[in-house]
Amino acid sequence: MAIEDAPLDDKAKRMRDLLSSFYAPDPSVAGGSLPKGASLDAINTDSFDADQYMNLLVQRANLEGLLQKHVEMAAEIKNLDTDLQMLVYENYNKFISATDAIKRMKSNIVGMEANMEQLLDKIMSVQSRSDGVNNSLFGKREHIEKLHRTRNLLRKVQVFNVIPHSRKLLLFEELFFCGKEQFIYDLPARLGKCIKAEAYADAVRFYTGAMPIFKAYGESSFQDCKRASEEAVMTITKNLQGKLFSDSESIQTRAEAAVLLKQLDFPVDGLKVRLFEKLEQSLGGLQVKIGDVADALEESNDEQENDLQLGFAVAHDASVHEFVETVRAYRVIFPDSESQLIKLSEDLITKHFLITEQHMKKRVSTATFLRVLRIIWDDVLLIDHVLPEALLHDYCFKVSQSAIKQYVSSMFSHLLDDVSGAMMKVHPQQNNVAEEQLQVALEAGKNSLLKGSMDLLLGFRQLLEDNLDLLVKLRELITDWVQAGFQQFFEALDTRFLLLSGRIKSSPQDQSLSEGLQSEKISSGLVLVLAQLCVFVEQTAIPRITEARTEIAASFSSSGARGYEHGLVFHPTEISRVFQSASEKFLHQYINMRTHRISVLLRKRFTTPNWIKHKEPREVHMFVDLFLQELEAVGSEVKQILSQGVRKHRRSESNGSTTSSLSNSLRDDKLRRSNTQRARSQLLETHLAKLFKQKVEIFTKVEFTRESVVTTIIKLGLKSLQEFVRLQTLNRSGFQQIQLDIQFLRTPLKELAEDEAAIDFLLDEVIVGASDRCLDPTPLEPPILDKLIHAKTAETKEQNSSVASPTSQ
Amino acid sequence: MQAGSSGVGYGLKYQVHLIRLSADGTELICEGLFSHPNEIWDLRSCPFDQRIFTTVYSTGESYGAAVWQIPELYGQLNSPQLERVALLDAHVSKIKCVLWWPSGRNDKLVSIDEENLFLWSLDSSKKAAQVQSKESAGTMHYLSGGAWDPHDVNSIAATCESSVQFWDLRTMTKTSSIDVSHVRTIDYDTKKDHILVTAEDETGIHIWDLRKTKVPIRELPGHTHWTWAVACNPEYDGLILSGGTDSAVNLWLAPTGSRDEITSDSGQNSLSLKVDPLVNSYTDYEDSVYGLAWSSREPWIFASLSYDGRVVVESVKPYLSRK
Repeated sequence: MAIEDAPLDDKAKRMRDLLSSFYAPDPSVAGGSLPKGASLDAINTDSFDADQYMNLLVQRANLEGLLQKHVEMAAEIKNLDTDLQMLVYENYNKFISATDAIKRMKSNIVGMEANMEQLLDKIMSVQSRSDGVNNSLFGKREHIEKLHRTRNLLRKVQVFNVIPHSRKLLLFEELFFCGKEQFIYDLPARLGKCIKAEAYADAVRFYTGAMPIFKAYGESSFQDCKRASEEAVMTITKNLQGKLFSDSESIQTRAEAAVLLKQLDFPVDGLKVRLFEKLEQSLGGLQVKIGDVADALEESNDEQENDLQLGFAVAHDASVHEFVETVRAYRVIFPDSESQLIKLSEDLITKHFLITEQHMKKRVSTATFLRVLRIIWDDVLLIDHVLPEALLHDYCFKVSQSAIKQYVSSMFSHLLDDVSGAMMKVHPQQNNVAEEQLQVALEAGKNSLLKGSMDLLLGFRQLLEDNLDLLVKLRELITDWVQAGFQQFFEALDTRFLLLSGRIKSSPQDQSLSEGLQSEKISSGLVLVLAQLCVFVEQTAIPRITEARTEIAASFSSSGARGYEHGLVFHPTEISRVFQSASEKFLHQYINMRTHRISVLLRKRFTTPNWIKHKEPREVHMFVDLFLQELEAVGSEVKQILSQGVRKHRRSESNGSTTSSLSNSLRDDKLRRSNTQRARSQLLETHLAKLFKQKVEIFTKVEFTRESVVTTIIKLGLKSLQEFVRLQTLNRSGFQQIQLDIQFLRTPLKELAEDEAAIDFLLDEVIVGASDRCLDPTPLEPPILDKLIHAKTAETKEQNSSVASPTSQ
Repeated sequence: MQAGSSGVGYGLKYQVHLIRLSADGTELICEGLFSHPNEIWDLRSCPFDQRIFTTVYSTGESYGAAVWQIPELYGQLNSPQLERVALLDAHVSKIKCVLWWPSGRNDKLVSIDEENLFLWSLDSSKKAAQVQSKESAGTMHYLSGGAWDPHDVNSIAATCESSVQFWDLRTMTKTSSIDVSHVRTIDYDTKKDHILVTAEDETGIHIWDLRKTKVPIRELPGHTHWTWAVACNPEYDGLILSGGTDSAVNLWLAPTGSRDEITSDSGQNSLSLKVDPLVNSYTDYEDSVYGLAWSSREPWIFASLSYDGRVVVESVKPYLSRK
């Protein structure tokens, strides 16, 4: 049954849905869920289950009830069928009537379209007519309106005329002289006339006067007038610009032009920039000229070139004047441009000083420097006149401070170079024939130092005494700088000397200086010269400079107190101390260098031979000659540099002779004793001798005299000799050789040295030392000793004469 | 309470003196007098056994070196011979010195002659010394002395005419050198690694940092004549003693501490100019001072020996407070 129902089911279902949607009072309520335990009353619900219902019914009701139910149900079904039939009919009726209505509508609508087209045509023609009317009326209406507005304006103007003069603007007055509306209309012509006459001021006045009116009514009433006058104004502007930039025009005119342009609301800034550039260009030219001037000044140290110098000065003056004029013009033209101008003129001054400082790298005399300063100051004054706001005075002070300071320091550094240059001359020809070389160098050094510093002081005095405003104000500072300069100069000199002597390693910046001075190659003579120069600085230069300085400082209010606060004071005592210690150091270095050479010599002498297998002494060993040669070299160097001290001709009867006699007796003793005894008593005897002998101070303080230096070197040499001897073990011949050599040395050394006692003592010490170290200390027999020494002296004499004879020929 | 080293007797009888400093530090007592067969040129006491020392001696023409032991004394002063522990007999040329490692027990010895460097291994129980290795210093160099690095048992410094050479004992090779001429004595700073002090004949005293061997980190002026001996204090930093042929002993205070790291050379110069490094100069000697030693027990005491055979013991205590 279910299968048969299937095709029918779709339709039936749709039908039922439609119907139920149509009839159901509320589908949502109808779709509510039912309790599971269905009752018989659930026949009207959606979830009605026929089978279940049947089962329920069969189970609950009895047959009679069932029958009754059956009858009831059959009746209900019949009723429902009829109801359904009725509804179907009703619907069908409705449908038929609807179809009828639609048929009627169709027939009614057919005539409508033609009517509508007719209507459109008519509306179109109405519109075109109305447009035509509008067009023909428009021009006239416009004219009427314009006339009306002019009339209104004229009415207002008339009212204005009635108002008392006091309330009027000046420019409007003009309007009335020219006859009211007539003025505006005449404006272009009037402007044209003005242009021809170059009466730009009037033109601008007219134009600006008319401006408010143009602004208010330019768009309408005075359109033509406005256009014409704007054109005229354009020409005016152009002419004015031309005027502004033409140098031939007077400044007044140019300034006026600028003012007028401004009044015309012309963008003046661009012009300003352009003009400023021009100004800067001229400034550049000026600076170049300044450079020339400085150059010329520098070159023209001679009197002859003064003319040239003057010429440059004149040229410079001219260009400065030009600049000043331009600045003035610029200021007048653009009144609010001070800051730029100030900057510009400050630049100018700075450049001036920069150039001056560059020139200072070369040597510049004080006079030249002064002249340059004066020129700059003149410039400053000129500019200041034009541009008082710039406070160029103060700026110039500030800048010139550094310049002058640099000048002072450059002067000192030149002096330093001079002095060290003089010293450097010693170096290249080391050990040369030129005997006087060291002396010459020393004199040169002394001269350049003293003269240089005196010149310096004179120069500074010139600076101080000059009545240039600039310098007067800086006077105190300058004295301070000079003081500090001297202090620094001497400190630098000290370091430079140290550098020259190779005591300190040069820093990289002094490389050029030390290039020629390899530390090993420093000539001992140079060191000696330096030592003496230090003494000179300490004893002569500083007092003289101090004197000169106080002399100069006395002529002004001394600024000592202030200087002390800043630590800018020249401390002569301190410098003296520095140089004193430096001179001692150099002297010691000199002695060291010389003794080093001697000890190299001695070392060779004592380490090479085999002393224990030494041969019989036949002659004085040649190292003695070398030793004496070295001493001679020292003597010649010392003679050039150092002064002769008061020769202490103490033959030292008390001291020296006792020593020598003692040691002589010692030797005699030794001779007499047997070898075995001697060895045992020797040490004791030496000590005994020392006990009774006054301890000889071998190493005394070195003085700056020839004798003292030579003596010290000899002493050190002999001491080294003694130490070398002590390190060897000798046989008898070795001992005798040493005895011979020492004996030979005795006379020449005593001649050279001033402290004979010490020399004697040291020579004896060498012999004692040698005998200490000797396996068999038997001295040479005095006759043999004398003979050998005599032979040697004769030989030396002969050599000397042979050396001397060719030179005399 | 043995004071530093024993004094060296350069007498004709060739004796070795054993000297004791009395407990109150005011008196020197000669404890023993031992005769030595030859003239002694170098004497070093053993750092770990106070009865053992080495000598380098000369017979006039040839040189020898030996290790000695001081015999037990039992009260008597005129004692018998020294007991010879070992003879270092491998040398041909002039022996310069024998070195002990200063920092502790080490059965090695280094002996230096003019041309060679010997490393000995010492067996004191068997009374024998064996050459462990040997190396020539090179033909151009004549060695003159040396020092054993207290911080490194494998490193020694040997001096020759123109330089100080550093040797590695393991490989027996030269590792580096400092160019400095005519060094008389060198001494390592026992407190600080890398610090070496040299005394030269004429140029005074130089203090070197072994990491920067180009230039000395400090220079001291030394003596009026040659500076012969130099000794770093084992306890106080920068305290250096030097003896010279100008019959003086100088006490220097030249701390090298952290300064070589902080300041540059120029700063050092200025500083060293300001402070005089010379603390004191002991000048009451009759002749040149050749020997110097600090006490290992009381580091403020030093002994010095001069040519006239006098041993002077001084205390530097009064100067230490200035540090």
